[in-house]
Amino acid sequence: MARGFDDDVILGKAYDGRLMRRMAVFVVPYWRQLALALALLFGAALTEIVPPLLVLQAIDGPISEGRLEGLWPIFALYVLVLVSNFALRYTHNYIINSAGQSVVMDLRKQLFQHLQRLSLSFHDRNPVGRLLTRITNDVDALNEFLTQGLVLILADLVTLLSIIGIMFFLNWRLALISLATLPILMLIVAIYQRMMRATYRLVRERLATINAFLNEQISGVLVTQLFGREVTSQRHFSGLSEAYLQANVRSLLIFAIFMPTVQLMAAIGTAAVLWGGGYGVMSGWASLGMLAAFVLYTERAFQPIRNLAERYTILQAAMASAERVVGVLDTTEEVRDPEQPVTLPQPVRGEIRLENVIFGYDPAEPVLKGINLHIPAGQAVAIVGATGAGKSSLVGLLARFYDVQGGRITLDGVDLRDLRQHELRQHIAAVPQDPVCFSGTIASNIRLHSATIDDARVRWAAEMVNAATFIERLPGGYEHEVRERGANLSLGQRQLLAFARALAFNPEVLLILDEATSSVDTATEALIQDALERMLQDRTSIIIAHRLSTIRHVDRIIVLHQGRVVEDGTHDELLARRGYYHRLYRLQFAEQGLGVAEH
Amino acid sequence: MSNLRYLIPYLRRYRWSLLAGLICAAFAASVSALGPYILRLAVDKLATGQLVLTSILGYGVMLIIVALADGVFRFIQRMMLAGVSYRIEYDLRTQLFAHYMRLDQAFFSRNHTGDLMARATNDLSAVRQLLGPGLNGTATAVLTFLAAAVLMLMMNVTLALIVMLLMPVTTVVFVLLGNRMRTAFTRVQDQFGVISTRVQEHFSGIRTIKAYAQEDAELAVFAAENERYRELNLRYVLLSGALWPAMTLCLGIVAALVLLVGGRLVVAGALTIGELVQFNAYLGLLTFPMIMLGWMVSLYQQASASMGRLMEVLRYQPAVVNPPDARPLPSPRGELEFRRVGLRYEEPADHATTALFPERRAEWMLRDLSIHVPAGHSLAIVGATGVGKTTLVNLLSRVRDPDEGQVLLDGIDVRTLDLGDLRRAIGYVPQETFLFSVPLRENVAFGVEGAHDAALDARIEHAVTVSRLANDLAQFPDGLDTMVGERGVTLSGGQKQRVSLARAILRNPPVLVLDDALSSVDTQTAAQILAGLREVMRGRTTVIIAQRIATVREVDQIVVLHDGQIIEQGNHSALLKLGGQYAAMYRRELLEAELSA
Repeated sequence: MARGFDDDVILGKAYDGRLMRRMAVFVVPYWRQLALALALLFGAALTEIVPPLLVLQAIDGPISEGRLEGLWPIFALYVLVLVSNFALRYTHNYIINSAGQSVVMDLRKQLFQHLQRLSLSFHDRNPVGRLLTRITNDVDALNEFLTQGLVLILADLVTLLSIIGIMFFLNWRLALISLATLPILMLIVAIYQRMMRATYRLVRERLATINAFLNEQISGVLVTQLFGREVTSQRHFSGLSEAYLQANVRSLLIFAIFMPTVQLMAAIGTAAVLWGGGYGVMSGWASLGMLAAFVLYTERAFQPIRNLAERYTILQAAMASAERVVGVLDTTEEVRDPEQPVTLPQPVRGEIRLENVIFGYDPAEPVLKGINLHIPAGQAVAIVGATGAGKSSLVGLLARFYDVQGGRITLDGVDLRDLRQHELRQHIAAVPQDPVCFSGTIASNIRLHSATIDDARVRWAAEMVNAATFIERLPGGYEHEVRERGANLSLGQRQLLAFARALAFNPEVLLILDEATSSVDTATEALIQDALERMLQDRTSIIIAHRLSTIRHVDRIIVLHQGRVVEDGTHDELLARRGYYHRLYRLQFAEQGLGVAEH
Repeated sequence: MSNLRYLIPYLRRYRWSLLAGLICAAFAASVSALGPYILRLAVDKLATGQLVLTSILGYGVMLIIVALADGVFRFIQRMMLAGVSYRIEYDLRTQLFAHYMRLDQAFFSRNHTGDLMARATNDLSAVRQLLGPGLNGTATAVLTFLAAAVLMLMMNVTLALIVMLLMPVTTVVFVLLGNRMRTAFTRVQDQFGVISTRVQEHFSGIRTIKAYAQEDAELAVFAAENERYRELNLRYVLLSGALWPAMTLCLGIVAALVLLVGGRLVVAGALTIGELVQFNAYLGLLTFPMIMLGWMVSLYQQASASMGRLMEVLRYQPAVVNPPDARPLPSPRGELEFRRVGLRYEEPADHATTALFPERRAEWMLRDLSIHVPAGHSLAIVGATGVGKTTLVNLLSRVRDPDEGQVLLDGIDVRTLDLGDLRRAIGYVPQETFLFSVPLRENVAFGVEGAHDAALDARIEHAVTVSRLANDLAQFPDGLDTMVGERGVTLSGGQKQRVSLARAILRNPPVLVLDDALSSVDTQTAAQILAGLREVMRGRTTVIIAQRIATVREVDQIVVLHDGQIIEQGNHSALLKLGGQYAAMYRRELLEAELSA
């Protein structure tokens, strides 16, 4: 899915004890399934060494002795072994994958839960794409480690050892002869793996370069065209592609040499068995059937060796992923629930008090420099000020997305930091500046996934904010499908949905970031204004106002300038004072009267 | 018919390599079928007790020689066939790139970069997979099967038929399971997409989630999506978990049957033990090729779909192309004219319409618009966001063509001019600056053809001085040679705009277009730049789109656009006297300056 084009994983250690222990926590609950899967796999490995034995039996027994009826039991046993091998392997695959999926699901949920608990300052710093990679790709790499890596390495070892064991058991001299080429084969595989890893890295690097260039060129194609540089770009791209081609041909060359070499080694092995076995047959310490069995065993010993080398890469990738996952799980939240939370006195009234509040995203540069405010329950307040005056920060603090660095904020006399965030936010709702929509239905955008808001309440909220009219015109009405980010809704529609959402949750305190939506037509603007007015009734509301008309609905206006409250009063009082608000008013609002669009 | 027919011209280009590869494949297959035959000779001699030690050694040496010959042929086969696949991949990739470079903006606004990238990476790789491992594997499989079949039929028809009829069953099982697996896997991937989208949306809207304390409810939904993903995965494992065990089972049953039937034939005297061993060895030889054939079917299906997607792009014809009988324009003067120009909105984008009850969007963005700028004069265009300012100036360098009317340079319709000459005549500083990940110097000299010498360095010096980029050079570790982008410095918006400006100045164009090009540059620097530009642009034509009146005050002609029309036109003082929108904007700007003081 969202695999990046150039997220070239730098592979490091294939085993890290600390990380393994951290990950083990997620595996332990499924140890029974894992143990069963492992047992099944060992069983399967053992059934795989039986067929050559049967061949031996058949040739040395019935076939050499000319007993036709003796072949049937061997055939029956052969089929039985094959069927049980199938059954064992299949059950193993299913069980190990089922355990793997459960582990991954737990891990994914844990990560999701942890990430959403982290403070907004974490989310401000970390792009969504990065979080997505953690939850999807990194977690999948761990699944692969479990299902493809660890267990199969054990199985490969078991297979290899049991083949060697049975060979020695059958005939130690022939075993020595057939295994003579094995160390050389292992060496060749090791060399091949090493060369291939280096070359493969080169291939990936060059591909990443190509893709980075391609991506940039597609993004900047207009500049290239306007400056007539198409040919130069093409030449450069051809050069990069040529380098990639060369790297690929190099890896092809290594592979094309490796494969026949392995074949040659196998042939030498067979020749050795033939020679040694032939000598043995003549000297009487070996039989024809044994010869055939050893040829088959030599073939089978090679597969696990090649597998072991390949699984190493899976381990490395898994460790890198585990490192990143653990990194996220170890990140601590900055805004935390108190050890002993206080509950709000019931009923919640919505009285807010700010005492000497100091805050800055960078503590060295405070945005709010000592704010004192008292907002009685039920009052509607507008906060105005130039860009950067600290308006949005104030809202962020009231919803406790961030914590104050000095002073305190209280709701009904209780410090926000003494409350559980969950409780606080049931009473204070913030309507964000950019009306956020999620994929789902209109109704699910109003109630989110809350179980406490029924259909009637959704409809009521939509009607209150004038959204019902447009919703009912949509095909399917409240069940109309909303696409990702609300792409199939207009800005005005999304704004009204965000309002409806706020009303549906019916908080005692409402924080509204009122974006100056210059691109909304006048009819919609009127509907939004009307909705706003109704929302402000009977509840404490704080609006960051950008519109003149919004200001008219509030009881009180607070003017922020460079992190301080400079003026406080009603619209008329402040205008009469002819101070900062007066100028701000002229700048921000006067032209809306003139009908000139903002830009 | 399959999209793969489009590959034929590419394959023809490398026909000799392909032929050589296929001939080697045939030799390799024949030689490898000889190995089991040698084994049989040795075993038969052993069984009858006719063998002496030296002749066993002889058979061993023969086995090794066969393996050597086989190795040599296979080496050439791989290098030829797989080599061609990489070359064709190269050809397709460079062709695709060249095509991307020719396509118009309409194409790029309709297609996401991610999708275009996917075609150049995933689809291309699917096609190469078919040509490389696919072709190579098929050749090996078919030829080995034929060679082994001939030798088996020569020994014993019954046993040969058992092997020849049952081995392909493996292939069929693989294909059948494979197809069902693909369907199941598509579902798994779709659900994976659902999860990814959920995560993406959730964390993009984390403010809203937190604001309404909906974390637990969201977690429950996420858990449900994951549960579904797990179930689909298990349904997939139900199939995929069976694949390899089933292969082993099928092949094992053939081997068991060969042992049973072959054993009876040996007892009956119709077959020697050596021949039985030879049959067994062929089973081993054919195992991998038979499975490979099954894999081929899915490679073929994927490659065919991918080739279709590649051709979709390659066959797209750009709307803006160099006219066939293009008029050269060796020394343009720079007289501009928009003559009754009309522009429609591009095909409605998927997102954000502005009205609550979106009517069908007004079709025309601009209509019946005429502006004339004599050579060497300046023009400013002001108006609200979205009114069509950028689209209008885009007509000059033919980023797109008008739907109605004409745009003329020196009295000639730009659509008849040589595209290269036209774009050389116009220095365009776009609203969205774009810098490449190369050193600053190369970014500035981006539009300059020819040698980079001392004379060019002097010109670059001049361009960065005029654009006031020179002021900031000391901040960069290597001055003009500092790398830009992820692996170098990140420039501020204002710095980027100044690089972009220097880039245009360096081209020394008779027409300079600044599309809101100084918006991120602070007022004071902007004033300095404008003063410097006036010097540079003496006798040249300038078109400026600006949000700030301060930038356009001294321009000869100012045009205010509103609702697809020119509503005010004149110079600064004339428009102020008019007391309309322009005057209001100007008052607002003065106030703003006063407030921030």
